[in-house]
Amino acid sequence: MNFKILGGLVIAVSAVLLGSCSADPDSAGLEYMPDMYRSPAVEPYVDYGHIRENENVDAKMRLSAMTPPNGTVPYFGTDSTEVSLMLPYHRKANNDFRQSHGMFGEELSPASINTYELAAADKNPMKMLYSFEVKKGTTDTTWTNETLASGKTLFNNNCSHCHGEKGDGNGEMMVNETFAGVPDYGNLTELSDGQMFYSIYYGKGSMGSHRSLINKKEIWTLVHYIRKFQDKAYGDKGKAALDTDPMDGQDPMNESDPSDAVAPE
Amino acid sequence: MKISSSQMFRNLNKWRLSALTILLLAGAFNSQAQGGDLFKAKCATCHKVFDDMTGPKLYGVRDRWEEGGAGEEVIIQWVRNQDVAAAMNAFANERISWSGSAMTKFGNQLSDEEIISILNWVDEQVVATANNVGPEGVIGGEGDSEESGLDWIWYVVGGLFVVIILSVGGVRRQLKSADAEASGGTFNASMSYSDEFKQWAWINKKYVGFGGLIIVVGVIVTLFLGLYSIGVVEGYQPSQPIAFPHDVHSGLNGIDCKYCHNSVTESKSAGLPTVNVCMNCHKQIKGEGEQVAQIQKIYDAAGWDGMKYTNVTKPIIWNKVHVLPDHVYFNHKQHVGVGGVDCAQCHGDMTKMNETAKVRTSEELNAVKENIEGEINFTKPTLTMGWCIECHDQKEISVGPINTKDQGKNGYYNEIHKRLLSGDKALYSEYLEDNKVTVKELGGWECAKCHY
Repeated sequence: MNFKILGGLVIAVSAVLLGSCSADPDSAGLEYMPDMYRSPAVEPYVDYGHIRENENVDAKMRLSAMTPPNGTVPYFGTDSTEVSLMLPYHRKANNDFRQSHGMFGEELSPASINTYELAAADKNPMKMLYSFEVKKGTTDTTWTNETLASGKTLFNNNCSHCHGEKGDGNGEMMVNETFAGVPDYGNLTELSDGQMFYSIYYGKGSMGSHRSLINKKEIWTLVHYIRKFQDKAYGDKGKAALDTDPMDGQDPMNESDPSDAVAPE
Repeated sequence: MKISSSQMFRNLNKWRLSALTILLLAGAFNSQAQGGDLFKAKCATCHKVFDDMTGPKLYGVRDRWEEGGAGEEVIIQWVRNQDVAAAMNAFANERISWSGSAMTKFGNQLSDEEIISILNWVDEQVVATANNVGPEGVIGGEGDSEESGLDWIWYVVGGLFVVIILSVGGVRRQLKSADAEASGGTFNASMSYSDEFKQWAWINKKYVGFGGLIIVVGVIVTLFLGLYSIGVVEGYQPSQPIAFPHDVHSGLNGIDCKYCHNSVTESKSAGLPTVNVCMNCHKQIKGEGEQVAQIQKIYDAAGWDGMKYTNVTKPIIWNKVHVLPDHVYFNHKQHVGVGGVDCAQCHGDMTKMNETAKVRTSEELNAVKENIEGEINFTKPTLTMGWCIECHDQKEISVGPINTKDQGKNGYYNEIHKRLLSGDKALYSEYLEDNKVTVKELGGWECAKCHY
């Protein structure tokens, strides 16, 4: 009689064991020496609720991706033009952005001041950067507008799914009718550089703020690139000026302002 | 006098409206399509048909304004320039303060007919979402309970088989003893199951011995296979708080991986999108059917009540999928930015995966286009050291952005490459044996590159 019970038990236990062998996507499997897996130094996206077999209730389930404190200035080297480009944006968001874009816990402009309108006065502080290459064995030079080239990468990564690769507002989201109402940049010629920057930085209407995705330098690069959609010759002026006498004195890497097409002296 | 003049105006307006309606009915299909296209092109940035967004909902806007005492011509004027409309009508003046952001002044971009065709199109829309929500959600629930029910049935069936086997065994024993009694012999009642088994095994010792050998070998092989699976996380796909379909986002809607995982080019970790990134689109996209409940979780996390942010937020707790041991250093920026590795080469083709992230198997990765083109073939399980080493051995560094002017600015790899090409000829020819320079040949196999 004992064997009956024992036999039943053995079968039941082995059934449970076999069951646990089946691939459970929720189980990462066995690991060798778990203490070598867990980093005592803080790593991103790790729950520090358990450290060295001690449960740390305070740390458990706490956010590991934190927002830096207000007014934090990231380090961007010592190049003054770069640093000045990266300093915090001098315009506060409009007062209604608290409810429309969730900007709580930061100082906004008073309700009486419309910073979006003020931003129209801002000029793109970023100068175009060109690079040139001399073909081997010849004197032919090819010029590349580096700013627009990196703008294209940024635009295709961050904007084109809505705004379309040609900036006509026909991105894949629009073609699928997932999203509606993205404007054609061709119709926004009256929009100033500063307002374009403002809209990318803080968002506008149904577009959210993109300041957590791209930094100020990248946004100004994008503003240059978007201008190119509106004006095919945009950014060529500086190049043309350089083409006239590329090797004369000026270092081609330090580019003249695209808005003034003065030939380097 | 005032009343009568406004009355007249309204009558005149009604007449105009009916005349236009007749006109529109004549070319009905055409103008409706036009209204829809115009709405999407000009209005949808700020207006929705049934919900307030940046601007108020447009459904039934004419009726509402009519009640407030503003006719269609006021609306048309409003679209052109709301300041003029506000000056000419008291109701329009009230609406100026609806939101802090002023409406775009369309001026002469739209004709009267075009504005009316937009309004007609808006009023023809039918609420479509409400009907789809209920039933699909219920179907999902049923599917779940059915699956767990099936599991339970298998246990019952297993239990039944055990009972049947044991009872048949008991019957057999009783029959045997009855048989022995009938034939006059004595049945050894004290003989237990184990004694019986021993007796049977001794008779069939050849088969039992052979069978036993197979079992022992099997157990040893299983044991070793089990040991080899330690630390192998292939196929790991933890359940996540939100059923996020990668194929809809990156496949159908063409969103670049780097838009959501945006720290991949800047940092060690690729980064999970913060909720504000989700809200860049989902502020407008509320989803249909089963999606509604999932997207609601984003709204809860962001503190979005459908109209405005409430500042009551709730973090989403995702489960980490790719966990490397602490003694391995891995940097996304180095691989994606400098090495020019495509996301799919390690994470598989996410544009076709209707699920959250998963540790892909090496077979899945071998099918990825970039790996086939780059002649990278994995044989070791994903996320093991053998797997890393294989790729470092096969990945050619002369492909990818390091050679382009844009990425090669720091000159680090260009310098190494240059020395390799122009320096020691003997060493160079050695490298050129397979006619390509791999990561390994630039020190990609040195221990301290990843372990320090």
